[in-house]
Parts: sequence; structure tokens; C-alpha cells
Amino acid sequence: MGSPGTTGPRIAAMLAVISLCASSALAGQVGFNRDIRPILSENCFECHGPGVRNPKGDLHLLEPGDVVRPGDAGASRLVQRVQASEPSARMPPLSTGKRLSEAEIALIRRWIDEGADLEQHWAFVPPVRPRVPPPREGRLGGNPIDGFIRSRLESEGLDASPRAGRRTLIRRVSLDLTGLPPSRSEVSEFLSDQRPDAYERLVERLLASPHYGERMAQNWLDAARYADTTGFAADTPRPMWLFRDWVIDAFNSNMPFDRFTIEQLAGDMLPDATQSQRIATGFHRNSMQALGNNPPKEEFRIKGIVDRLDTTGRVWLGLTIACAECHDHKYDPISQREYYRLFAIFNNIPHYGEAFGVHGPRMLVTLDDASLPWSEGDPARTDRATLEAGLAAKGLLTAQVMVEMEAPRETRIHIRGNFENKGERVSPGVPEAIGRISADVKVDRLSFARWLVDGRNPLVARVFVNRLWQQFFGTGLVSTVEDFGSQGEWPSHPELLDWLAVEFVDSGWDIRHMVKLIVASETYRQSSKVDDRLRARDFYNRLLARGPRQRLPAEQIRDNMLAVSGLLSRKMGGPGVYPVQPSHVGEFRDASAGKWTTSRGADRYRRGVYTFWQRMYPYPSMVLFDAPSGERSCIRRNLSNTPLQALVLLNDPVIFEAARALGGQILLESAESSDSARIEHAFEAALARPPSAAESELFEAFAAKQRRRFAGNPDSADSVIHGRLPDHASLPATELATWTMVGSTILALDETITKQ
Amino acid sequence: MTDEWTRTRLTRRHFFSNGANGIGGLALASLLNPNLMAEEAGAKAFRRYAPRAKRVISLFMSGGPSHVDLFDPKPLLNERDGQPIPKSIIKDHKFAMIKESDPKIKGSPWRFSKHGASGLNVSELLPHTATVADELCLIRSIHTETFNHGPAISFQTTGSARYGRPTLGAWLSYGLGSEAEDLPAFVVLQSGVKLQPLLDSYWSSGFLPSQHQGVAFRSQGDPVLFLSNPKGVSGTARREQLDLLKAMNRNRLAEFNDPEIETRIAAFELAYRMQASVPDLMDITAESKATHDLYGTEPGKPLSFANNCLLARRLAERGVRFIQLFDMGWDQHGKLVEEHGRQCRGVDRAMAGLVKDLKQRGLLEETLVIWGGEFGRTPIAQGSGDDYGRDHHPHGFSMWLAGGGIKAGVTHGGTDEFGYHAVEDRVSLFDLNATILHCLGIDHEQLTYRFQGRDFRLTDVEGEPIQAVML
Repeated sequence: MGSPGTTGPRIAAMLAVISLCASSALAGQVGFNRDIRPILSENCFECHGPGVRNPKGDLHLLEPGDVVRPGDAGASRLVQRVQASEPSARMPPLSTGKRLSEAEIALIRRWIDEGADLEQHWAFVPPVRPRVPPPREGRLGGNPIDGFIRSRLESEGLDASPRAGRRTLIRRVSLDLTGLPPSRSEVSEFLSDQRPDAYERLVERLLASPHYGERMAQNWLDAARYADTTGFAADTPRPMWLFRDWVIDAFNSNMPFDRFTIEQLAGDMLPDATQSQRIATGFHRNSMQALGNNPPKEEFRIKGIVDRLDTTGRVWLGLTIACAECHDHKYDPISQREYYRLFAIFNNIPHYGEAFGVHGPRMLVTLDDASLPWSEGDPARTDRATLEAGLAAKGLLTAQVMVEMEAPRETRIHIRGNFENKGERVSPGVPEAIGRISADVKVDRLSFARWLVDGRNPLVARVFVNRLWQQFFGTGLVSTVEDFGSQGEWPSHPELLDWLAVEFVDSGWDIRHMVKLIVASETYRQSSKVDDRLRARDFYNRLLARGPRQRLPAEQIRDNMLAVSGLLSRKMGGPGVYPVQPSHVGEFRDASAGKWTTSRGADRYRRGVYTFWQRMYPYPSMVLFDAPSGERSCIRRNLSNTPLQALVLLNDPVIFEAARALGGQILLESAESSDSARIEHAFEAALARPPSAAESELFEAFAAKQRRRFAGNPDSADSVIHGRLPDHASLPATELATWTMVGSTILALDETITKQ
Repeated sequence: MTDEWTRTRLTRRHFFSNGANGIGGLALASLLNPNLMAEEAGAKAFRRYAPRAKRVISLFMSGGPSHVDLFDPKPLLNERDGQPIPKSIIKDHKFAMIKESDPKIKGSPWRFSKHGASGLNVSELLPHTATVADELCLIRSIHTETFNHGPAISFQTTGSARYGRPTLGAWLSYGLGSEAEDLPAFVVLQSGVKLQPLLDSYWSSGFLPSQHQGVAFRSQGDPVLFLSNPKGVSGTARREQLDLLKAMNRNRLAEFNDPEIETRIAAFELAYRMQASVPDLMDITAESKATHDLYGTEPGKPLSFANNCLLARRLAERGVRFIQLFDMGWDQHGKLVEEHGRQCRGVDRAMAGLVKDLKQRGLLEETLVIWGGEFGRTPIAQGSGDDYGRDHHPHGFSMWLAGGGIKAGVTHGGTDEFGYHAVEDRVSLFDLNATILHCLGIDHEQLTYRFQGRDFRLTDVEGEPIQAVML
């Protein structure tokens, strides 16, 4: 039996080093950050790193001495130890299971011989706008993004792929910008638009759609660990949706990222804070919250702060600061003391309430008519007073918010992370390696938030544009989107990352501007088809010689099917809804977690982002497509590909209902048509393209078989069409059942659930 | 050479990975091919030694079974029944429920007697278990760090009281994959009387790729979510659908050359096979009468631990890597006599039957069976009168192991004379997990996954395999 042990060392890190660095390192001078730091971080820093207070053998690798003698690798102890033939003398020690390769040792020797220049870790050096590489003669101009991408492709001897076809492109960019597919008429309109800027116009239209905010909010809500329940065993519902709607609105109004940041982290502390600015602080009230008296309250208060620091570090700084809760960070320059200085910034939120469900401050929200989009089309509920009374009675008009205590709590270091074991007292502050808050400003949540987005922070802009890049291309320029520290990956295109970061700040933190730059680039518009040679050369598409091709995220799989079938409700905002899910999900849930009472009417067909998110029993068909539970912040989703997903695609009653609606739509709208015309209709609706002749034949044969079977078995036809839409009531059962099966098959295609 | 190396690696692994994050397609890796570890970002190869066990069956008594009433007899408790427990013993411990300043000792209302050649001391509550005494390795010195159900179950299942870490089953799916052709690597079955909720996080993959999460077979409706065809869709129609999907997806593969498509084609086929194999697995009616008698099964009865034990054997036969049975209702803060009795009657015959059945089929030596709960129960009473119960007790309690590389007929470790503290050969959950991994041929220090720049382990930075209990 081939053991997993034969499969070689850490894949991601190795691939990164090899495919992205090796060629350039071999050609030019060895760079410490690019070439050497990853090796040392991986193999040495745990015991001898910059953050380790009492390093083994009292030896810090990067401090002056005989460890590294610039210009003389042979005399450097580092080299002697890593290549020692005697195992007991060799570093890293045998027990770690680590060993430097010959190539790695050679790189280190070269670096030392070349003078052993130390650089500060790249991510802590503020970005400077680099020169955009000019396009090669005779090539399409493209935008600055393309300059960087192509310059790298040229140095690798690779060519960019041709532009994707218009049909592919409109589907790709519609899904990416709104989370919804283009309608058939939108496709034909785009195809017939002969103006030279047809694509730019399309992008403008999509960016102006209110669905843009829903799409953009999804990723931010993952990062914010948004959920509608408290988590832990009780998992009690609590009203958080006002925050979710705030995020959607913020993207739709293109709120600049600096304001977006300040309002979410410290909106309550702004002078004359508005209701909206307070609702924004729900961001950090998304932490899980244990209820009742059984767990010691202080312990859970502390857990909440730890979660807020972890989230803040990940989302804004791209740093794993949580590592410093119990000890100095082993890899990055964040001491435990600095961790508790950050902790002190978040330590002043009241945590009161003895009864179930009221830990922490809440705010009663008065809704004005303008903010009641969810009352639309429901005449029984448009009377505002009735509505408010009804909602207030259900506790729906409260928002979880942040409030700053007038007298800050004392913060002491928790020795080994144990909150009952208090050490030195610390004042609020930020890690020195990242910067400092001006001495004449009181250090608190507000000044911290302002410091993050003052434009001088080396990390914040890079971290955010990198996540935007990941959203559109599948992988960040730094693939470890959550870790820009020394254990993180060296960027695939460092200059591009810096250019984007500087552009972001200079544009006034304009998110829509950055999104537009990305989707307008020729890089984004490339075809995603790939030949064997290129695939072998660049398996993960890190060099971007082709366009992105990826399975849709969970919510989009749902939204796409509902949109294609015409079932989708485009209603925006409001309390979470309860779409159909199998009975007995979370069958052994706590009574306090409440029941899943399926929504009625249009609310069954709302977009995925409005699904009531029960942390401990999240909506199963979306979890199976890797939607995160919301227990903690998530900025990089899995993209699994499993048999359980196949079962969802073919058997989930929600998707089968969409198939039935699609079948009915085909029959109604192509009533007099041939099977082939109907199949074309289905393809156009689901895939934004007509079938090939061969595909059409396959589907015609399939439809004929189904028709024969249902004609001979009316009972099964009746079962299949059970629950059909009122509009489809007059359609013949055999036909509707047949076209439901066609719809079900089309909705389950790999192409349907993929942006390509 | 580097390029060559990279290319070879990529060709070999492309089928099982995806273009985005280097993850995906791995359910197939774990579902279809036992020899392929989930290779993905964060994955790290590890050396294996010859495994004694191929799989694990965990019998988890959710709520906390009472060690002093089941496996750890303490005559002193009966002698001093009703007297205050010495302060030197309880120190400044907090209890979950007991709030009195002077809690009283409670002797066990049940008799213990020795069984088998090994002379294992077992309570009269577990007469069937007593008959397999010589197969068991009883550990009486387990201790854990937390006394509330949620964090304690989290500790037992993931090695950490913090939510969000991968569970043991997910680690095994990730590290070893599955030997089952058409079943998930990690299956959860649930039974008993609902007292505490069972959370999805108890079988979560944590930060491991999501395909490693446990699949909880449900007691009502489809055993696996979305397993059944929609009403009116026959098996033939489904096959035709799959053939059409396959043809279409192959066209796409030819055009885009994306191995994810190949993985998806295989996933649809596997799903189709599961539609047959899962109902076949779940149908226990064809088992012999002798087998039903052995377990005390009642086909069709919901939430039956006995049915689940028989299913566990069937899952083991089919090569599932980690099978975890959660039996609810073991949290007797009151009515100990009545309700702990009920709980024991619900599991005793079936778990003894499982051990015997595995043994007679030659499966026991390659299957590690683990019995226990998230903690034990206090040797002091909660409440008084006939309705007394016992509180949560993490400081020392019992679990047993059987089969799969573990010595049979052995007792390891012990608590003090009050059954309070684990004092002799103390065993932490890290040690226990290190032992479990060892039986499966894994060095617990080497099974790691990189998350947020750090290599995480099931055993964090602790744990030693317990040599004394291993063959």
C-alpha cells in the first residue's frame, strides 16, 4: 500500500518557491525576502526567529555575529550547521523531521557570499507605486494590470490567451459582479452591441445594479463571520440582519474603504454617531456568544475579544496575530505584550446582562420608510406602525452594537493565555513593526480604526486588494490571503500588488474603481481554455496566461438556478428567510436554537445571502458547497468537489423545483416549437449559449426517452410535476415532466455551476 | 530538474486537486482511493509505521457516564456515604451545578464484581459488557480540562476546547483517506434520549478541507441528505440523466482541459453508487436472528443504539475509516438510579455484542473500539433524597479501548480512593489521541496541517502514546 509518506514535502510552500521564485533567483541576485526568508522561516524561526524571546542556544539567526558572516558562507555557522554531516550537529534537529535541500543550502550560501543583505519583511515595508511595464510592441495595450501580468509572462516565455467569447464573458462578469447570470435578452443585447466600448458599458451597468452590493457583501460577511444565531450549544437566534443590510448598502453606495473600516470598527465612537454608523459596529458583535450562567461570563467575554483580534488581524492586517495570545509570535515581530496592547483597545465593551440572550449592548432601531424595502409587495405589512409593533414584539428591531465604556478596563497580559493568570499591565497600542498611532492621540478603537486606513499602513491596502484579486481570479496574488507574515507566501506579482495597493489608497479607497480595473483588464477577459503544455507549466494559473475558471460559491449556485428558472425573488434586505431544507436538519438541536419554519411565498426564493444562518446547523445544501459556518472569520473558502454535491444538484427539492419551473418556462415560451428549439431555449437560459448540434442531438434523444417513459407511466409524471407553478397548471403532464428532467440535467451540468 | 519534479508531481496529483486553492476533488481521493492522501495546500507528508488498526469505532456516551458507578468501584464512597468530601480533595474546584459549600459523598447504589480471566471489576449495570471483560483495556485515569458539555465534547472530539478545530475523524480522513469504495471516510450515527444538543461541529473538519467532515447519517428521512431521487424519477431515468451529464461534461473537459471536470464526472458516478450502497448498508433486516439477538437490535426503531452498533460493524466491513456513535442522555444531575440505569440498559448488550461480533468475524484485531464520554460524574451527590444525581467530573474518569493494537484484559491507571483525581498513570486526552493515532500507524507529531502559518496537530504540542496499553 503506497503510504502517504511518499508524497513529498509541503506542497503549497514548495510550489510557491519553485514555480514563482526559482527561475528569477537563479538568474539574478538572491533576495533575502523572496528567496531566503521562506527557507529560514520554515526551518529555523520556530526556535531562532525574530519574535522568539529566549531562542534556543541564545541564538537569533538574524542578529549580527558569527552565525552569518557576510561575504563568507564557509565561515558562517549557519551554513556549517545546516550542512553538518554528523546528524547530532546538524540543524534543524533530526526530531523536527525537517532538512534543508541541497538547492536551499546553495541559495543560502550564495546569499551570504553576495553580502547577506537583510531586508525588512516585504509586507512591513510600505508600498511605493512601481512603474507600469509598457506593452510590447504590436500588442494590445490593456490597462496597468495587464502591463505587470504580461511582463511576467514574457519573462517566462508564455503568451496570454485570447479573449473569451462574448457569451462566456457576459456570463463570467455578470456572475462575478452581481452573483446572477445574464438573462437571455441581456445576452442578445450584448452580442448585438457593436460599439467599441460595449464591454465597458456592460461592466458599468452591472456595477450600478443593486445586486452588486449583494455579491460583494457575501465575501465581506464571510470575513465578518456573519450569522443569525449566537453559536455554541444554545445557538439562539439574535437579530444581526441590520448589519448584513448595512454591508450591502455600503457596497452599493460605494462607501470608501476607509469610512467602511472606521464605521464598522468604531462607528459608535464617531462624533454624533448616526444610527447607521452604530449598526455598522455589528461587525464585531458577530462573535459567538455563550448564553446562560453556566460558563463563567468573564471567560466568554475574553473569548469574544480574542475572536475580535483574530478577525481584525486576518481581515485588515493579513496577520495571524492570534498566535501571540499565549506567547510571542514565533515568526512575525508581534510580542505577547503587543498582543495585549491590541487587546486593550478592544477591552472596553460592556458585557452585561444576566438573562439569556442579552450579553453586550443592543440598540433599538427606528426604521424610516426608506429603509423598509422588505415591506414591498406585502400590503398587509406596509403600515409602518403595525410593522414596527409587530417586529418589536418579536425583538426584531434591535441591533447588536458596540459601545465604549467611559472608564476603560485595566488590561494585563494573560500569562500563557490564561485569563486568570494576570501579568504585567499594558496600555493600548499597536505592534511597532507595523507602525504607531500618533502620540498626541488617545489610543482607542476609533484612533486604531483611523490608523488602519490613514494610508501609511503597509498592510491594509495590500491585504484588501489581494482579497479582491482572489475573488475574481480564485487565488490571491499572495495566495495566503490571511497571512502576509513570514510564513505567508511571497507574492506572485509583487509589483502589481503594490501598484494596486497604492492605486487603491490614491483613489480615495474606491472599491468600485478597483473592481472595475480588475474586470476591465485583458487579463480577466482571457479565455479560460488551456492546453496540456500550459496546464503542466502553470497548473494553478498563478501566472495568469489564461482566464479564471471556477465552481461558483454556494450562494451563487442557488441564486443562479433560481434566476435561470425564473423563480428568484429579487427582494432585498430584511430578516433572514427560511428556504426549504430537508426535515430533521439538526434534529438534536437545543430548544433554544428555535425551529426552522419554512418561509412562504416569495421568501422561499430569496437570494442565498438572505438565508437565515444558523451557526450550529447551517443550511445544508450550501454547507455542502463550502459555505462557512460562521463560527469564525473566513476569508478563503474551500472549493471541494464531492459526491454529496452531486446528490444536491440532482435531488435537492429546491433545485428540482427550479428544474420544474425551467421546464414549464421552456414549454410556455416555446409552445409551438420543436424539441430542438426548446433545448436551445434551455441552453440559452442556463448557459448563455446555444447547444452544439451534437449536444442538441443528445438532449433530443434524452427528451424522447423521458417522454416515452412518462407517457407510459402517468403516475410518475404526476409525481415529477407535483408542486408546479400555477402558470404551468395547464401544461400536459407528460410534457412538463419530460422538460423537468431536461431542466434537472441542465442545472446539474458542471458548466452551469462554473464560472468559465 | 526542478521543472521535471514539479511536472511529475502535478501530473500525478492533478486529478485530485483543483486549480484554485489546491484543494478539491479530495473527497474522491479519500473516497475512491485509499492510497492517496489528501494532498493540498497545508498538507504535509508523514511517515507511517505498520498500523495495527485500520479503522476506529468510537462509542460516545454524550452527557458523561458515571465512572464510579460503572467501571471504577470505590468502597470508601459507600462507607462514607453522606459525609462531606474532604476539602483537600476538591480544593477550589468549581462544579457545573453543585453550588453547596460542603458537598456530600455519594456511594454507588450498584454492586461491582470481577469478571473474566482478567478479573475486571464491572458494575452490575453492565452485565453484558462484563462478558467481554477479557477483550477490554480499561483506562481509569483519563482527565480533561473543562467541565461543560460543549467544550468538553469539543475537547474529546478535536483535542481542543475551542470550537473550530478538526475532529479526530476528519484528521483520519485527511491523513489516511478511506478504504470504502462508495461510502464516506467518516460516518456519524446518533441515538438515545435528547438532553444536550448534538452540534455539527462535533464532526466538523475545522480548518481541514471540508470534504473531510463527518457525514451524519440521520435517524429520520434519507440517511444521507438528498440521497433519494425526487419522486417520480426512476432509477432508469436517473441513469439516463447521468449518462447525458457524463457526455456533456466530457465535452467540456475536452474543451477546457480542467481536471475538476473529471473529478465531477467521477463524483456523480460515486453518488449514484451511494444511492444503492447506503440503503443496502442501512437495511439490517437480512442479518441473522443470532446477530439480532447478539446486539438486541430492532430494525426500524429510531434512535436505537443497538441498531447503530450493528450498522457500525457493517460500516467497518465496508472499510469506513472512522465510525462514531453518539448516544445521548447520559447527563444525570438527578434521578441517577433510574436514568443511568436506563442509559446502561440502552447500550450494554449492543456494545458487548459489537465487540463479540467483530471478534468472531476477525475484524476486532484491525478495528479499534473506544468507549467513553466527555467526562465522568462526581463521586459526590447533586441533590438529595431518592432523586439525587451526580455532577460533571473532568478530573479523573474511565474509558475503555478494545481491539486494533490494544492489549486485551488490562486495566491501566487509577483514581484516588474517592474516585476523584486521576492519580496513577494519568492519561490526558492528548495521550489518548496519540495512542489512537499510533495504533493506526501514525506518529501524532507528524500528522500536521498548515493553517495560518502554523502546523497544527490533533495533539497540539502534547501527548505521548501510552506504551503500556499497546500491543
